[in-house]
Amino acid sequence: MSTTTSLAWRSLRHRPLAATATALAVLLGTTLIGSFATLTESSFAASGTDADTLVVLGAVVGGWGTLIVLFSVASTVGITTTHRASEIGLLRTIGATPRQVRRLVVRETAVVAGLAAVLGALVASVSGHALFALIRSGGLVTDHTRYDAGPASVGAAALLVLLASGVATSLAARRATRGPAGVLVREASAEQGRMRWWRVAAAVVLIGYGIAMAVITVAVTAHDDDPYAAMSTSGSSSILVGVGLAVLAPVLLRWLATPAGLLVGRAGASGHLASYNTARRAHLLAGVLAPVVVLTSAAVGTLLLVDIDTRTLPAGTPDSDTINLLNNVVVGMLSLFAAIMVVNAFVATVAHRREELHRLHLLGATPRQVERSVVAEAGIVAAIGVLLGTMAALTTVVPFAIARHEGAVPDGGLWMVPTVVAAVVALTLAAARTSVRTQRRAQAVGR
Amino acid sequence: MNLTRTASSTALAVEGLTRTYGDGDATITALAGIDLAFARGSFTAVMGPSGSGKSTFLSCAAGLDRPTSGRVLIGGEDVTDWDEERRTRLRRERIGFVFQGFHLLPYLSAAQNVALPARLAGRKPDRARVRGLLERVGLGDRTHHLPGSMSGGQQQRVAIARALATEPEVVLADEPTGALDSATAREVLGLLRTSVTELGQTVVMVTHDPVAASYADEVVFLVDGRVAGRMSHPTADAVAGQMAHLDDLVVAR
Repeated sequence: MSTTTSLAWRSLRHRPLAATATALAVLLGTTLIGSFATLTESSFAASGTDADTLVVLGAVVGGWGTLIVLFSVASTVGITTTHRASEIGLLRTIGATPRQVRRLVVRETAVVAGLAAVLGALVASVSGHALFALIRSGGLVTDHTRYDAGPASVGAAALLVLLASGVATSLAARRATRGPAGVLVREASAEQGRMRWWRVAAAVVLIGYGIAMAVITVAVTAHDDDPYAAMSTSGSSSILVGVGLAVLAPVLLRWLATPAGLLVGRAGASGHLASYNTARRAHLLAGVLAPVVVLTSAAVGTLLLVDIDTRTLPAGTPDSDTINLLNNVVVGMLSLFAAIMVVNAFVATVAHRREELHRLHLLGATPRQVERSVVAEAGIVAAIGVLLGTMAALTTVVPFAIARHEGAVPDGGLWMVPTVVAAVVALTLAAARTSVRTQRRAQAVGR
Repeated sequence: MNLTRTASSTALAVEGLTRTYGDGDATITALAGIDLAFARGSFTAVMGPSGSGKSTFLSCAAGLDRPTSGRVLIGGEDVTDWDEERRTRLRRERIGFVFQGFHLLPYLSAAQNVALPARLAGRKPDRARVRGLLERVGLGDRTHHLPGSMSGGQQQRVAIARALATEPEVVLADEPTGALDSATAREVLGLLRTSVTELGQTVVMVTHDPVAASYADEVVFLVDGRVAGRMSHPTADAVAGQMAHLDDLVVAR
């Protein structure tokens, strides 16, 4: 075993929590993408409309999901690498070259992500089968079409997820090793890293594409004879814009945390700490904001889309049943995934801040004050997240409502917006509270 | 015994303080019965070789660690058996801390860091006082800077201003110059010295640096968890000589 590899092993054993976050993201991501990939593979053996249905399900639905999954995996891996800035600075000071450090970080991720991806692929071959059975029992495909997927589809899904986490890790590692060694040891946590141009460019492309699809829906596909033409153009807008905003999360959080903090900042010492931490260390909490935005935009957008569809078209036609089931499966799976990402990101962030939270304790903050300040931060992040997510959802809801002649505001189903918002906020606050408490308990045992 | 806070002339006292870790054959005795009293307005350095119990002594005095037996008195008041909640309040209201690693909150400005103990106690910080303290440590022009943009010496000066903010009974300093170069260390030690001379503060400083110890009124030497000697009006040379002697004792054992 080379020095770097053995160092990677030791370091992994030293930080099980961060490794768990990465493994969980890769495992779930591979399962989700892999399950839909098996549908595409099965379509090759099917014929006629069955083949079409499976391709639509696998490629189109799976495609949206892939975007969210790859983004989440990349951001989780990015969080865990960024959190190691001071350790990386230390390695650099004692003479590790940037290349060695990068290799260490990438190998470490490769071990964890590799194991998780293999496991995810195994789970996907089972869950893909279950998904197929669900689709067939729902009558979306005929009985003589069989599940026919081998290792190719789940393997490709695993490779895709591995590739995404690999690229994200090397980018984060490259960022962490840039610059001279000595500077890095300094408390890196206060700095507000600037955004790279490619990140801004990716966000602009995603948001621009989503808005363009919304405009096309109103201008073109709304007048199409096929009622689903409008859905196919507007359906993914909320997810595209949501992911685009999530890519910009560090900047958006820094801008929006100041006004949000003014409200929370009045609420005692905990609120005061929370408002400054969110604004001045936006890059830390951006990892939590991103999945909150995506979760809200995907859920609100798709749920209202389905609702408008069932209201404006006569139900019961096989077409509408298929599409509604599809949409609900997408919302269900993506919401579950994004919810796990929110919790994942919070656990990783609080684990990273163990030292700093302990510092507050030394200075005389009661455990309750520490907990409240982290929960207040979660509150700020959640408020900003649901606001941005709901805005992103408008790019699906408004054009589709116009296309189905309901006007800019849908005729019903608006109660779903506050419901989703409340659920997302509750989830974020619970994630924060649980991670602080787990942390405190771990510390009490460790002492 | 006089228990009222204002009447006591002793800021911090420990009586028969012991602390052991583990049990059975594996028992490690960090403190083996220490009696020390630190008078109000005094500057004391606590020195000793590695493993002599300096850090354990400081942790017990600060209420961060519970002694195995013995008492800890802050301002004449016995705080040994206080629960976690009360000891937390004690730390933020009646004890000031200066750590080797500064321990500033990275996302709070210098002024906000100094105001933090008051905020944690639920009081509105006195802006003029915070400003005055930062001016006292020579950082009047840096009140809005974040720790990340300050040098180590500047960060430690902010930490000293923070320790003085609540007018504590005692300032506990744990190797406050351990991470600083000698010129910066002298500035920091000078600030601790003037807080005693000009403000009447009480400072107890754990250190292994004879130069740092020479700023104190008195040095207490610990060896193997016991008080092994004291020295008034220390000079760096005298302290260094005594330390070398103590090291020999430990090696000879």
